[in-house]
Amino acid sequence: MQILRQTKLEALERARALGPDGVIALLGKRGLEGRGGASYPTAKKWKACRDFPSDERFVVCNADEGEPGTFKDKLIIRHNAETLVEGMLIAAYAVGAKRCFIYLRGEYDYLRPRLQEQADDVLARAKMEGVTIEIVRGAGAYICGEATALLQSIMGFRGNAMSKPPNPTTNGLWGKPTVINNVETLACAAQAVLFEDWDPTLRLFSISGNVKNPGVYEFPLGVKMSTIIDVARPEKKLKAMSFGCFGGIMPVDPGMAVTPETINMEKCQHGAYSIIFIDETNNVVDVAYSIAKFYTYESCGKCTPCREGTIRMLNLLKKVRTGHAVKKDLELLRELATHVQDTALCGLGQTCGNHILTSLQHFPKDYEAFMKK
Amino acid sequence: MAKENGKKDSRPLMNILHEMQERHGYISEHMLKQISVEQDIPIARLYGVVKFYTMFHTEPQGKYVIEICGSPSCVLSNGVRLEKFLENEIGAGIGETSKDGLFSLYKTSCIGCCDEAPAMLINGEPHTKMTVERLKLVLGKIREAEAAKPAGEKKK
Repeated sequence: MQILRQTKLEALERARALGPDGVIALLGKRGLEGRGGASYPTAKKWKACRDFPSDERFVVCNADEGEPGTFKDKLIIRHNAETLVEGMLIAAYAVGAKRCFIYLRGEYDYLRPRLQEQADDVLARAKMEGVTIEIVRGAGAYICGEATALLQSIMGFRGNAMSKPPNPTTNGLWGKPTVINNVETLACAAQAVLFEDWDPTLRLFSISGNVKNPGVYEFPLGVKMSTIIDVARPEKKLKAMSFGCFGGIMPVDPGMAVTPETINMEKCQHGAYSIIFIDETNNVVDVAYSIAKFYTYESCGKCTPCREGTIRMLNLLKKVRTGHAVKKDLELLRELATHVQDTALCGLGQTCGNHILTSLQHFPKDYEAFMKK
Repeated sequence: MAKENGKKDSRPLMNILHEMQERHGYISEHMLKQISVEQDIPIARLYGVVKFYTMFHTEPQGKYVIEICGSPSCVLSNGVRLEKFLENEIGAGIGETSKDGLFSLYKTSCIGCCDEAPAMLINGEPHTKMTVERLKLVLGKIREAEAAKPAGEKKK
Protein backbone atom coordinates (compact mmCIF):
# COMPACT_ATOMS: atom_id res chain seq x y z
CA MET A 1 0.00 0.00 0.00
CA GLN A 2 1.26 3.44 -0.90
CA ILE A 3 -0.07 4.92 2.35
CA LEU A 4 2.25 2.68 4.38
CA ARG A 5 5.44 3.93 2.69
CA GLN A 6 7.64 5.57 5.29
CA THR A 7 9.33 8.88 4.69
CA LYS A 8 11.82 8.65 7.59
CA LEU A 9 12.28 12.41 7.92
CA GLU A 10 13.65 12.58 4.38
CA ALA A 11 10.47 14.34 3.24
CA LEU A 12 11.01 17.06 5.82
CA GLU A 13 14.61 17.42 4.67
CA ARG A 14 13.44 17.78 1.09
CA ALA A 15 10.80 20.30 2.19
CA ARG A 16 13.46 22.39 3.92
CA ALA A 17 15.54 22.35 0.74
CA LEU A 18 12.55 23.49 -1.30
CA GLY A 19 11.49 26.28 1.04
CA PRO A 20 7.88 26.95 2.16
CA ASP A 21 6.68 28.23 -1.21
CA GLY A 22 8.44 25.40 -2.99
CA VAL A 23 6.68 22.78 -0.85
CA ILE A 24 3.27 24.31 -1.51
CA ALA A 25 3.99 24.52 -5.23
CA LEU A 26 5.15 20.90 -5.28
CA LEU A 27 1.99 19.65 -3.53
CA GLY A 28 -0.07 21.62 -6.01
CA LYS A 29 1.81 20.00 -8.87
CA ARG A 30 1.39 16.53 -7.37
CA GLY A 31 -2.36 17.13 -7.11
CA LEU A 32 -2.87 16.27 -3.45
CA GLU A 33 -6.49 16.68 -2.38
CA GLY A 34 -7.91 16.53 1.14
CA ARG A 35 -8.92 13.03 2.16
CA GLY A 36 -11.40 13.94 4.86
CA GLY A 37 -14.24 13.98 2.37
CA ALA A 38 -14.30 17.46 0.83
CA SER A 39 -11.37 16.89 -1.59
CA TYR A 40 -10.12 20.46 -1.22
CA PRO A 41 -6.68 20.98 -2.82
CA THR A 42 -4.16 20.86 0.03
CA ALA A 43 -1.73 23.32 -1.59
CA LYS A 44 -4.49 25.92 -1.90
CA LYS A 45 -5.40 25.54 1.77
CA TRP A 46 -1.80 25.85 2.94
CA LYS A 47 -1.19 28.86 0.73
CA ALA A 48 -4.29 30.67 2.01
CA CYS A 49 -3.11 30.10 5.58
CA ARG A 50 0.45 31.19 4.82
CA ASP A 51 -0.61 34.31 2.92
CA PHE A 52 -3.02 35.60 5.57
CA PRO A 53 -1.23 38.21 7.67
CA SER A 54 -0.82 37.05 11.27
CA ASP A 55 1.76 36.79 14.04
CA GLU A 56 0.81 33.23 14.80
CA ARG A 57 -0.47 30.19 12.92
CA PHE A 58 -1.56 26.69 13.86
CA VAL A 59 -1.65 23.22 12.30
CA VAL A 60 -4.33 20.77 13.33
CA CYS A 61 -4.52 17.10 12.42
CA ASN A 62 -8.13 15.98 12.34
CA ALA A 63 -8.02 12.47 13.81
CA ASP A 64 -11.67 12.56 14.84
CA GLU A 65 -12.61 9.81 12.44
CA GLY A 66 -16.21 9.49 13.48
CA GLU A 67 -18.02 8.72 10.24
CA PRO A 68 -19.64 5.31 10.71
CA GLY A 69 -17.99 2.70 8.53
CA THR A 70 -14.70 4.64 8.36
CA PHE A 71 -11.53 3.25 9.92
CA LYS A 72 -8.73 4.13 7.50
CA ASP A 73 -7.18 6.78 9.76
CA LYS A 74 -6.91 4.21 12.52
CA LEU A 75 -4.80 2.09 10.17
CA ILE A 76 -2.46 5.02 9.50
CA ILE A 77 -2.16 5.95 13.18
CA ARG A 78 -1.38 2.33 13.99
CA HIS A 79 1.02 1.54 11.19
CA ASN A 80 2.50 4.75 9.85
CA ALA A 81 2.19 7.42 12.53
CA GLU A 82 5.75 8.68 11.93
CA THR A 83 4.88 9.68 8.39
CA LEU A 84 1.70 11.37 9.61
CA VAL A 85 3.69 13.40 12.17
CA GLU A 86 6.24 14.27 9.53
CA GLY A 87 3.41 15.52 7.33
CA MET A 88 2.32 17.78 10.19
CA LEU A 89 5.82 19.15 10.56
CA ILE A 90 6.00 19.84 6.83
CA ALA A 91 2.67 21.67 7.07
CA ALA A 92 3.98 23.66 10.05
CA TYR A 93 7.13 24.51 8.11
CA ALA A 94 5.22 25.48 4.96
CA VAL A 95 2.69 27.78 6.64
CA GLY A 96 4.97 29.00 9.41
CA ALA A 97 3.22 27.46 12.42
CA LYS A 98 4.77 26.58 15.78
CA ARG A 99 1.98 24.95 17.72
CA CYS A 100 0.44 21.79 16.26
CA PHE A 101 -2.49 19.76 17.57
CA ILE A 102 -3.71 16.26 16.90
CA TYR A 103 -7.40 16.00 17.75
CA LEU A 104 -7.79 12.31 18.49
CA ARG A 105 -11.30 10.97 18.97
CA GLY A 106 -12.07 9.56 22.40
CA GLU A 107 -12.98 6.18 20.93
CA TYR A 108 -9.36 5.83 19.74
CA ASP A 109 -7.87 6.78 23.10
CA TYR A 110 -6.17 3.39 23.33
CA LEU A 111 -3.98 4.47 20.40
CA ARG A 112 -2.90 7.64 22.19
CA PRO A 113 0.07 6.52 24.34
CA ARG A 114 1.93 5.08 21.36
CA LEU A 115 1.01 7.99 19.09
CA GLN A 116 2.33 10.41 21.72
CA GLU A 117 5.59 8.49 21.93
CA GLN A 118 6.01 8.48 18.17
CA ALA A 119 5.13 12.17 17.87
CA ASP A 120 7.67 13.06 20.57
CA ASP A 121 10.29 10.90 18.90
CA VAL A 122 9.82 12.38 15.41
CA LEU A 123 9.71 15.88 16.86
CA ALA A 124 12.99 15.34 18.72
CA ARG A 125 14.73 14.00 15.64
CA ALA A 126 13.30 16.69 13.33
CA LYS A 127 14.98 19.46 15.34
CA MET A 128 12.44 22.14 14.46
CA GLU A 129 12.89 24.98 16.84
CA GLY A 130 9.92 25.94 18.94
CA VAL A 131 7.51 23.52 17.27
CA THR A 132 5.26 21.51 19.59
CA ILE A 133 2.68 18.78 18.99
CA GLU A 134 -0.12 18.26 21.49
CA ILE A 135 -2.72 15.53 21.38
CA VAL A 136 -6.16 16.82 22.29
CA ARG A 137 -8.48 14.08 23.49
CA GLY A 138 -11.96 14.03 22.00
CA ALA A 139 -14.83 12.73 24.09
CA GLY A 140 -17.35 11.07 21.84
CA ALA A 141 -18.83 13.87 19.75
CA TYR A 142 -19.16 13.08 16.03
CA ILE A 143 -19.70 16.75 15.21
CA CYS A 144 -16.13 17.51 16.27
CA GLY A 145 -14.95 16.01 12.98
CA GLU A 146 -16.41 19.16 11.42
CA ALA A 147 -13.64 21.75 11.23
CA THR A 148 -15.26 24.63 13.11
CA ALA A 149 -16.63 22.36 15.85
CA LEU A 150 -13.23 20.71 16.19
CA LEU A 151 -11.57 24.07 16.80
CA GLN A 152 -14.19 24.95 19.41
CA SER A 153 -13.38 21.70 21.17
CA ILE A 154 -9.62 22.33 21.14
CA MET A 155 -10.23 25.77 22.66
CA GLY A 156 -12.24 24.16 25.43
CA PHE A 157 -15.80 24.84 24.33
CA ARG A 158 -18.81 22.72 23.46
CA GLY A 159 -18.28 21.24 20.00
CA ASN A 160 -20.80 23.46 18.26
CA ALA A 161 -20.35 24.15 14.56
CA MET A 162 -19.85 27.78 13.58
CA SER A 163 -21.12 29.46 10.45
CA LYS A 164 -18.63 30.01 7.66
CA PRO A 165 -17.19 32.40 6.55
CA PRO A 166 -14.85 33.24 8.15
CA ASN A 167 -12.99 30.12 7.21
CA PRO A 168 -10.75 28.37 9.76
CA THR A 169 -7.87 28.61 7.28
CA THR A 170 -7.74 32.34 7.93
CA ASN A 171 -9.70 32.66 11.21
CA GLY A 172 -9.17 29.45 13.14
CA LEU A 173 -7.82 28.76 16.62
CA TRP A 174 -8.01 31.91 18.76
CA GLY A 175 -8.84 33.80 15.56
CA LYS A 176 -5.51 32.97 13.91
CA PRO A 177 -4.93 31.24 10.56
CA THR A 178 -5.15 27.47 11.06
CA VAL A 179 -4.56 24.58 8.69
CA ILE A 180 -6.81 21.61 9.45
CA ASN A 181 -6.01 18.43 7.58
CA ASN A 182 -7.19 14.88 7.85
CA VAL A 183 -4.79 12.12 9.02
CA GLU A 184 -4.58 10.59 5.56
CA THR A 185 -3.98 13.97 3.91
CA LEU A 186 -1.02 14.75 6.16
CA ALA A 187 0.57 11.33 5.68
CA CYS A 188 0.07 11.75 1.92
CA ALA A 189 1.62 15.22 2.06
CA ALA A 190 4.89 13.79 3.40
CA GLN A 191 4.85 11.03 0.80
CA ALA A 192 3.97 13.40 -2.05
CA VAL A 193 6.88 15.66 -1.15
CA LEU A 194 9.40 12.83 -1.12
CA PHE A 195 8.38 10.23 -3.69
CA GLU A 196 8.59 11.10 -7.38
CA ASP A 197 6.32 8.15 -8.21
CA TRP A 198 3.63 9.12 -5.68
CA ASP A 199 0.22 8.35 -7.18
CA PRO A 200 -2.48 10.97 -6.47
CA THR A 201 -5.32 8.72 -7.65
CA LEU A 202 -4.98 6.09 -4.93
CA ARG A 203 -7.63 6.24 -2.22
CA LEU A 204 -8.20 4.26 0.95
CA PHE A 205 -11.52 2.44 1.01
CA SER A 206 -13.00 1.29 4.32
CA ILE A 207 -15.11 -1.74 3.47
CA SER A 208 -17.54 -3.27 5.96
CA GLY A 209 -21.03 -4.68 6.27
CA ASN A 210 -22.29 -7.99 4.90
CA VAL A 211 -18.99 -9.20 3.44
CA LYS A 212 -16.46 -11.86 4.41
CA ASN A 213 -13.36 -9.70 3.97
CA PRO A 214 -14.02 -6.30 5.48
CA GLY A 215 -11.03 -3.99 5.93
CA VAL A 216 -9.08 -1.06 4.53
CA TYR A 217 -8.10 -1.40 0.87
CA GLU A 218 -6.25 0.89 -1.48
CA PHE A 219 -7.72 1.37 -4.96
CA PRO A 220 -7.22 3.99 -7.66
CA LEU A 221 -10.16 6.25 -8.45
CA GLY A 222 -12.14 4.75 -11.31
CA VAL A 223 -11.77 1.21 -9.97
CA LYS A 224 -14.55 -1.11 -11.12
CA MET A 225 -17.08 -1.93 -8.42
CA SER A 226 -16.71 -5.60 -9.37
CA THR A 227 -13.04 -5.46 -8.28
CA ILE A 228 -14.07 -4.16 -4.88
CA ILE A 229 -16.77 -6.81 -4.57
CA ASP A 230 -14.24 -9.51 -5.52
CA VAL A 231 -11.91 -8.66 -2.65
CA ALA A 232 -14.72 -7.96 -0.18
CA ARG A 233 -16.36 -11.35 -0.91
CA PRO A 234 -20.02 -11.04 0.01
CA GLU A 235 -21.72 -14.27 1.08
CA LYS A 236 -25.06 -13.35 -0.41
CA LYS A 237 -26.18 -11.17 -3.26
CA LEU A 238 -25.48 -7.51 -2.49
CA LYS A 239 -28.39 -5.14 -2.67
CA ALA A 240 -27.15 -1.77 -1.54
CA MET A 241 -24.19 0.17 -0.27
CA SER A 242 -24.09 3.06 2.11
CA PHE A 243 -21.30 5.63 2.00
CA GLY A 244 -20.73 5.96 5.71
CA CYS A 245 -23.85 7.48 7.21
CA PHE A 246 -23.84 10.83 5.50
CA GLY A 247 -23.15 9.79 1.90
CA GLY A 248 -26.44 8.11 1.09
CA ILE A 249 -27.49 4.60 0.09
CA MET A 250 -27.35 3.39 -3.50
CA PRO A 251 -27.68 0.12 -5.43
CA VAL A 252 -24.57 -1.98 -6.06
CA ASP A 253 -23.70 -1.98 -9.74
CA PRO A 254 -20.67 -4.22 -10.45
CA GLY A 255 -20.04 -2.45 -13.76
CA MET A 256 -19.74 0.99 -12.21
CA ALA A 257 -16.40 2.79 -12.19
CA VAL A 258 -16.02 4.34 -8.74
CA THR A 259 -15.34 8.06 -9.06
CA PRO A 260 -16.85 11.07 -7.29
CA GLU A 261 -18.82 11.82 -10.47
CA THR A 262 -20.44 8.39 -10.83
CA ILE A 263 -21.36 8.39 -7.14
CA ASN A 264 -22.81 11.90 -7.38
CA MET A 265 -24.91 10.79 -10.32
CA GLU A 266 -26.82 8.54 -7.91
CA LYS A 267 -27.26 11.53 -5.57
CA CYS A 268 -24.72 10.05 -3.16
CA GLN A 269 -21.47 11.50 -1.80
CA HIS A 270 -18.18 9.62 -1.70
CA GLY A 271 -16.80 11.25 1.47
CA ALA A 272 -13.86 9.24 2.71
CA TYR A 273 -14.82 6.22 0.59
CA SER A 274 -16.29 4.16 3.40
CA ILE A 275 -18.60 1.58 1.92
CA ILE A 276 -21.00 -0.40 4.08
CA PHE A 277 -22.37 -3.27 1.97
CA ILE A 278 -25.91 -4.42 2.60
CA ASP A 279 -27.05 -7.79 1.24
CA GLU A 280 -30.47 -8.90 0.04
CA THR A 281 -31.46 -10.39 3.39
CA ASN A 282 -31.64 -6.90 4.87
CA ASN A 283 -34.21 -4.19 4.37
CA VAL A 284 -32.67 -0.83 3.51
CA VAL A 285 -35.22 0.91 5.75
CA ASP A 286 -33.67 -0.82 8.77
CA VAL A 287 -30.27 0.58 7.84
CA ALA A 288 -31.77 4.04 7.23
CA TYR A 289 -33.37 3.76 10.67
CA SER A 290 -30.05 3.03 12.38
CA ILE A 291 -28.51 5.97 10.52
CA ALA A 292 -31.37 8.24 11.57
CA LYS A 293 -30.83 7.18 15.19
CA PHE A 294 -27.18 8.09 14.79
CA TYR A 295 -28.00 11.61 13.62
CA THR A 296 -30.55 12.19 16.35
CA TYR A 297 -27.87 11.26 18.84
CA GLU A 298 -25.07 13.25 17.26
CA SER A 299 -26.77 16.49 16.24
CA CYS A 300 -25.04 19.20 18.28
CA GLY A 301 -28.35 20.95 18.89
CA LYS A 302 -27.26 24.40 17.85
CA CYS A 303 -29.46 24.98 14.80
CA THR A 304 -33.16 24.18 14.83
CA PRO A 305 -33.58 22.36 11.48
CA CYS A 306 -31.04 19.70 12.44
CA ARG A 307 -31.92 19.41 16.15
CA GLU A 308 -35.65 19.04 15.49
CA GLY A 309 -35.52 17.58 11.99
CA THR A 310 -33.39 14.58 12.91
CA ILE A 311 -35.90 13.61 15.62
CA ARG A 312 -38.90 14.03 13.31
CA MET A 313 -37.23 11.97 10.59
CA LEU A 314 -36.46 9.22 13.08
CA ASN A 315 -40.07 9.22 14.29
CA LEU A 316 -41.38 8.97 10.74
CA LEU A 317 -39.06 6.04 10.04
CA LYS A 318 -40.27 4.44 13.25
CA LYS A 319 -43.80 4.84 11.94
CA VAL A 320 -42.78 3.19 8.67
CA ARG A 321 -41.11 0.26 10.40
CA THR A 322 -44.05 -0.43 12.68
CA GLY A 323 -46.37 -0.57 9.69
CA HIS A 324 -48.36 2.54 10.56
CA ALA A 325 -47.21 4.76 7.71
CA VAL A 326 -49.22 5.69 4.65
CA LYS A 327 -47.99 7.10 1.37
CA LYS A 328 -48.39 10.66 2.61
CA ASP A 329 -45.86 9.99 5.36
CA LEU A 330 -43.19 9.14 2.80
CA GLU A 331 -43.91 12.41 1.04
CA LEU A 332 -43.53 14.21 4.36
CA LEU A 333 -40.30 12.34 5.04
CA ARG A 334 -38.88 13.42 1.70
CA GLU A 335 -39.99 17.00 2.20
CA LEU A 336 -38.57 17.13 5.71
CA ALA A 337 -35.19 15.66 4.68
CA THR A 338 -34.89 18.16 1.83
CA HIS A 339 -35.87 21.04 4.09
CA VAL A 340 -33.34 20.13 6.80
CA GLN A 341 -30.56 19.75 4.24
CA ASP A 342 -31.34 23.14 2.73
CA THR A 343 -31.47 25.06 5.97
CA ALA A 344 -29.03 23.45 8.43
CA LEU A 345 -25.89 25.25 9.49
CA CYS A 346 -23.07 22.78 9.03
CA GLY A 347 -22.02 19.71 7.08
CA LEU A 348 -23.72 17.35 9.50
CA GLY A 349 -27.14 18.94 9.11
CA GLN A 350 -26.73 19.44 5.40
CA THR A 351 -26.19 15.73 4.84
CA CYS A 352 -28.35 14.19 7.59
CA GLY A 353 -31.20 13.51 5.18
CA ASN A 354 -29.08 11.91 2.45
CA HIS A 355 -29.76 8.35 3.57
CA ILE A 356 -33.50 9.01 3.51
CA LEU A 357 -33.63 10.80 0.16
CA THR A 358 -31.42 8.24 -1.59
CA SER A 359 -33.08 5.20 -0.07
CA LEU A 360 -36.51 6.58 -1.01
CA GLN A 361 -35.25 7.13 -4.53
CA HIS A 362 -33.43 3.83 -5.04
CA PHE A 363 -35.32 1.40 -2.82
CA PRO A 364 -39.04 2.31 -2.84
CA LYS A 365 -39.91 -1.40 -2.59
CA ASP A 366 -38.20 -1.69 0.79
CA TYR A 367 -40.45 1.07 2.08
CA GLU A 368 -43.52 -0.48 0.45
CA ALA A 369 -42.85 -3.73 2.26
CA PHE A 370 -43.62 -1.91 5.52
CA MET A 371 -46.56 0.17 4.31
CA LYS A 372 -50.05 -0.04 5.69
CA LYS A 373 -52.05 -2.16 3.31
CA MET B 1 -13.43 38.22 26.91
CA ALA B 2 -10.15 36.88 28.20
CA LYS B 3 -11.94 35.16 31.05
CA GLU B 4 -14.53 33.72 28.72
CA ASN B 5 -11.85 32.06 26.64
CA GLY B 6 -9.81 30.69 29.51
CA LYS B 7 -6.05 30.64 29.40
CA LYS B 8 -4.83 30.27 25.87
CA ASP B 9 -1.48 28.79 26.74
CA SER B 10 -2.67 26.26 29.27
CA ARG B 11 -3.24 22.61 28.45
CA PRO B 12 -6.34 21.73 26.46
CA LEU B 13 -9.42 21.67 28.68
CA MET B 14 -10.51 18.36 27.12
CA ASN B 15 -7.35 16.68 28.42
CA ILE B 16 -7.77 18.19 31.89
CA LEU B 17 -11.35 16.90 32.06
CA HIS B 18 -10.33 13.44 30.85
CA GLU B 19 -7.60 13.17 33.46
CA MET B 20 -9.94 14.32 36.20
CA GLN B 21 -12.44 11.66 35.21
CA GLU B 22 -9.77 8.98 35.02
CA ARG B 23 -8.70 9.74 38.59
CA HIS B 24 -12.18 9.85 40.11
CA GLY B 25 -14.40 7.88 37.76
CA TYR B 26 -16.60 10.91 37.07
CA ILE B 27 -16.55 14.70 37.23
CA SER B 28 -18.36 16.08 40.27
CA GLU B 29 -19.53 19.63 40.91
CA HIS B 30 -16.70 20.01 43.41
CA MET B 31 -14.13 19.04 40.77
CA LEU B 32 -15.68 21.47 38.30
CA LYS B 33 -15.32 24.26 40.84
CA GLN B 34 -11.69 23.37 41.25
CA ILE B 35 -11.03 23.41 37.49
CA SER B 36 -12.99 26.65 37.19
CA VAL B 37 -10.66 28.39 39.64
CA GLU B 38 -7.48 26.87 38.27
CA GLN B 39 -8.26 27.53 34.63
CA ASP B 40 -10.16 30.78 35.09
CA ILE B 41 -13.21 29.50 33.23
CA PRO B 42 -16.78 30.24 34.43
CA ILE B 43 -18.30 27.13 36.00
CA ALA B 44 -21.47 27.43 33.89
CA ARG B 45 -19.41 27.12 30.75
CA LEU B 46 -17.48 24.18 32.17
CA TYR B 47 -20.71 22.39 33.02
CA GLY B 48 -21.94 23.02 29.48
CA VAL B 49 -18.78 21.48 28.07
CA VAL B 50 -18.92 18.40 30.30
CA LYS B 51 -22.58 17.81 29.44
CA PHE B 52 -21.94 18.19 25.70
CA TYR B 53 -19.51 15.29 25.36
CA THR B 54 -20.99 11.84 25.86
CA MET B 55 -17.81 10.42 27.33
CA PHE B 56 -17.81 12.76 30.32
CA HIS B 57 -19.96 11.74 33.26
CA THR B 58 -21.25 13.91 36.09
CA GLU B 59 -22.50 10.91 38.08
CA PRO B 60 -20.47 8.00 39.51
CA GLN B 61 -20.04 5.20 36.99
CA GLY B 62 -19.66 1.46 37.21
CA LYS B 63 -16.12 0.18 37.51
CA TYR B 64 -16.35 -1.10 33.94
CA VAL B 65 -17.98 1.15 31.38
CA ILE B 66 -19.26 -0.86 28.44
CA GLU B 67 -20.05 1.01 25.23
CA ILE B 68 -21.76 -1.02 22.54
CA CYS B 69 -21.40 0.21 18.99
CA GLY B 70 -24.78 0.95 17.44
CA SER B 71 -23.70 1.93 13.94
CA PRO B 72 -24.80 0.24 10.70
CA SER B 73 -21.88 -2.20 10.29
CA CYS B 74 -22.37 -3.52 13.81
CA VAL B 75 -26.15 -3.59 13.44
CA LEU B 76 -25.79 -5.59 10.20
CA SER B 77 -23.54 -8.02 12.09
CA ASN B 78 -26.23 -8.73 14.65
CA GLY B 79 -24.93 -6.37 17.32
CA VAL B 80 -28.48 -5.91 18.61
CA ARG B 81 -28.40 -9.44 20.01
CA LEU B 82 -25.40 -8.54 22.18
CA GLU B 83 -27.20 -5.50 23.53
CA LYS B 84 -30.16 -7.58 24.70
CA PHE B 85 -27.84 -10.19 26.18
CA LEU B 86 -25.80 -7.60 28.08
CA GLU B 87 -28.87 -5.89 29.48
CA ASN B 88 -30.07 -9.20 30.88
CA GLU B 89 -26.68 -10.34 32.05
CA ILE B 90 -25.72 -7.27 34.09
CA GLY B 91 -29.26 -6.29 34.98
CA ALA B 92 -29.04 -2.73 33.71
CA GLY B 93 -30.40 -1.02 30.63
CA ILE B 94 -28.65 1.38 28.27
CA GLY B 95 -27.49 4.42 30.24
CA GLU B 96 -27.73 2.59 33.56
CA THR B 97 -25.29 1.13 36.08
CA SER B 98 -25.65 -2.38 37.48
CA LYS B 99 -26.73 -2.74 41.13
CA ASP B 100 -23.35 -4.15 42.17
CA GLY B 101 -21.69 -1.02 40.77
CA LEU B 102 -19.53 -3.11 38.47
CA PHE B 103 -20.90 -2.21 35.03
CA SER B 104 -22.31 0.84 33.29
CA LEU B 105 -23.86 0.25 29.90
CA TYR B 106 -23.95 2.70 27.03
CA LYS B 107 -24.63 2.70 23.35
CA THR B 108 -22.11 4.59 21.28
CA SER B 109 -21.79 5.80 17.72
CA CYS B 110 -19.25 4.13 15.47
CA ILE B 111 -16.01 3.18 17.24
CA GLY B 112 -14.15 2.48 14.01
CA CYS B 113 -14.05 -1.31 14.36
CA CYS B 114 -16.45 -1.93 11.47
CA ASP B 115 -14.11 -4.50 9.91
CA GLU B 116 -14.32 -6.52 13.12
CA ALA B 117 -18.00 -6.06 13.85
CA PRO B 118 -19.84 -6.35 16.12
CA ALA B 119 -17.66 -4.40 18.50
CA MET B 120 -17.69 -2.61 21.84
CA LEU B 121 -15.39 -0.67 24.12
CA ILE B 122 -14.89 -1.83 27.70
CA ASN B 123 -13.14 0.93 29.67
CA GLY B 124 -11.88 2.27 26.37
CA GLU B 125 -10.35 -0.97 25.14
CA PRO B 126 -11.87 -2.38 21.95
CA HIS B 127 -13.44 -5.84 22.03
CA THR B 128 -14.18 -7.00 18.52
CA LYS B 129 -15.91 -9.82 16.63
CA MET B 130 -18.05 -10.31 19.69
CA THR B 131 -20.47 -13.16 20.16
CA VAL B 132 -22.63 -14.02 23.14
CA GLU B 133 -20.12 -16.77 24.00
CA ARG B 134 -17.13 -14.44 23.90
CA LEU B 135 -19.00 -11.82 25.87
CA LYS B 136 -19.75 -14.42 28.56
CA LEU B 137 -16.03 -15.17 28.78
CA VAL B 138 -15.07 -11.49 29.06
CA LEU B 139 -17.67 -10.75 31.73
CA GLY B 140 -16.70 -13.95 33.58
CA LYS B 141 -13.06 -12.87 33.68
CA ILE B 142 -13.94 -9.42 34.99
CA ARG B 143 -16.14 -10.88 37.72
CA GLU B 144 -13.48 -13.41 38.67
CA ALA B 145 -10.80 -10.73 38.91
CA GLU B 146 -13.08 -8.55 41.04
CA ALA B 147 -14.02 -11.43 43.37
CA ALA B 148 -10.34 -12.24 43.89
CA LYS B 149 -9.54 -8.71 45.08
CA PRO B 150 -9.39 -8.09 48.85
CA ALA B 151 -12.52 -6.46 50.21
CA GLY B 152 -10.92 -3.03 50.65
CA GLU B 153 -9.99 -2.72 46.98
CA LYS B 154 -13.35 -3.63 45.59
CA LYS B 155 -14.94 -0.27 46.17
CA LYS B 156 -13.74 2.37 43.83
